[in-house]
Amino acid sequence: MNTVTQLTLYNKMVLLRHFDDMCRKLKMEDLIWSGYHPYTGQEAVAAGCCSQLKQDDCLLGNHRSHCHAVAKGTSVRAMLAEMMGRQSGVSGGLGGAMQFIHAENNLFCGSIVGSNIPLAAGMGMAFKDQQSHRVVMCMFGDGGSNTGSFHEGLNLAALWKLPVIYILENNQFAEAMPVAESVACSPLSKRARSYDLEEITVDGNDVVAVYNAVARAISKARAGEGTSLIEVLTYRIRGHYMGDPEETYRTKEEVDKWKEKDPIKLCRSQLLANGVAANELDEMESMIVKELHEDKSWVLQQPFATFEQAVRHVWIPLEQ
Amino acid sequence: MTETQVVTYGEALGQAYREEMLRDENVYLIGEDVGRWGSLYRSSKGLLAQFGPKRVKDAPLSEAAIAGCAVGSAAMGMRPIAEIMYIDFITIAMDQIVNHAAKWYQLSNGKVKMPIVFRTQGGAGRRNSSQHSQSLENWFVNIPGLVVVMPSSPYEIKGLLKSAVRDNNPVMFIEHKSLYFAKEEIPIEEYLIPLGVANVKREGSDVTVIATSWMVSFAINAAEQLQKEGISCEVIDPRTLWPLDKETILRSVEKTKHCVVVTEAPAEGGWSAEAAAVVFEGCFQLLKKPVTRVTGMRTGIPYGSVLEMQVIPNEEKIVKAIRNLLNK
Repeated sequence: MNTVTQLTLYNKMVLLRHFDDMCRKLKMEDLIWSGYHPYTGQEAVAAGCCSQLKQDDCLLGNHRSHCHAVAKGTSVRAMLAEMMGRQSGVSGGLGGAMQFIHAENNLFCGSIVGSNIPLAAGMGMAFKDQQSHRVVMCMFGDGGSNTGSFHEGLNLAALWKLPVIYILENNQFAEAMPVAESVACSPLSKRARSYDLEEITVDGNDVVAVYNAVARAISKARAGEGTSLIEVLTYRIRGHYMGDPEETYRTKEEVDKWKEKDPIKLCRSQLLANGVAANELDEMESMIVKELHEDKSWVLQQPFATFEQAVRHVWIPLEQ
Repeated sequence: MTETQVVTYGEALGQAYREEMLRDENVYLIGEDVGRWGSLYRSSKGLLAQFGPKRVKDAPLSEAAIAGCAVGSAAMGMRPIAEIMYIDFITIAMDQIVNHAAKWYQLSNGKVKMPIVFRTQGGAGRRNSSQHSQSLENWFVNIPGLVVVMPSSPYEIKGLLKSAVRDNNPVMFIEHKSLYFAKEEIPIEEYLIPLGVANVKREGSDVTVIATSWMVSFAINAAEQLQKEGISCEVIDPRTLWPLDKETILRSVEKTKHCVVVTEAPAEGGWSAEAAAVVFEGCFQLLKKPVTRVTGMRTGIPYGSVLEMQVIPNEEKIVKAIRNLLNK
């Protein structure tokens, strides 16, 4: 990978880290109301996968998708506003942090784990039938891969060779359930084999590895060569939600060990080794942080979603 | 004079499919054995040969995937007719219908439309016992965002399906398995029946009988029997359970001042209670007696024709309820 691309990915990850940190504070201040699921430590996945999509490609997310959304090109402002219940949010402030649709950016996120897997197949089927070169990416976790929807959706997509890239973002836990205690096979990518798909597991903390694997899958899908499933191995540094009883499912030592494999640190050291100046990276970072604060101030001025909105667009009145 | 033809419920459905698929190339059919078999009751017979496998998709036995495909492709501009072979199997597809199809229009600020028809069939009468005979329409009436239609005859199914395909809401189109071979004379030329409009099947002056789906024919037979005794029944088929045509119902009850609701589904927590509430709220002062319900019993549908017919409404039960209501 050339340094310019890697630098772009690095900056994207830095943005996502600070964005996520900001969201956590907003949750603590009760400015984000719903369940909030931190993304710390998984930034290489969002940056390496979602940022490769074009606007007319579809991205299906889940309950932990605020960073996927921003990596796909939805603005920080529209995403923050959504999580803070403001009208300028992607769903007009009616969805919150766990479910939202940004129609213009073909972004669909929902909080029913696993159910985006058949939905992605449906979008892929439409693109195939419409003979377009649009592709679909679907983000779910180790937990999502245990649902019936996973098997129904993956079988259909693989059977009909649909242009869908399934990203199994294995962050080691479904809430408090460790993956070793909840999935009968290891690695999880073995499940691809039963649908005659290539078994691919990549280091999800290495943004270059993620990017390259996903780039191949996207080219394949655009060329009409069908579905891919990529397991990206990463780690959820924070709780399922903030303040969950972490001591019930993991040790501090385990978390510390994974902190050493931080995707941003790793990428930074590679960039420095390739001759990028540290102060250049730091300057970019300060600009990112400054802009984030401006975004936050802007969102705080935005009006909340209204009662009128809450009862609008429930359905389309019948044409008589 | 309009030229007519005699068709079965299943054939009328097939005609509606064909006409809508010729009219709009975005309309496609997906479900288990909708192509090769032409669907369980042969309603899509011949469509695979005519339109090819892109328009008539035989799906794996995966109800969640069928419904998910419908939602995903609808969001990308297609107009799916997704068939769930028995309404009992829709339990597997509920997530896609309730959490996605019914929510996306609102979650997208009105930008993503969901022009989907979820076709399925329910009810007793074919000796299939408790997991192939249920009446589950009540669940969908309670979900904001869904339109719920129950066609009661060949004429109704054709006109209603064509309207459902053209509508931009997710429509639950719930047929009845005991009606597929019912015959009726219908126009040869194209016609549509608007959603949300009830049909006064039979005019009368003493009592309003609101009946849905298969129960409409039982209600009409009961009305004809009572006519001989001088009791005049008005029979209303709401056709669309939601949105409900309250106006037609209230206009009728204002005239008859008596009302009986007949559904195959159990009473508790059901649409029959909703219909009764609409009557109470709309014309309580005019009612001579409380609204009465004749419904399926709160039990699993038992095996065999003898027992299954004992736990759902029939002419005798409807006649008895009307006589009680009118003290006759």
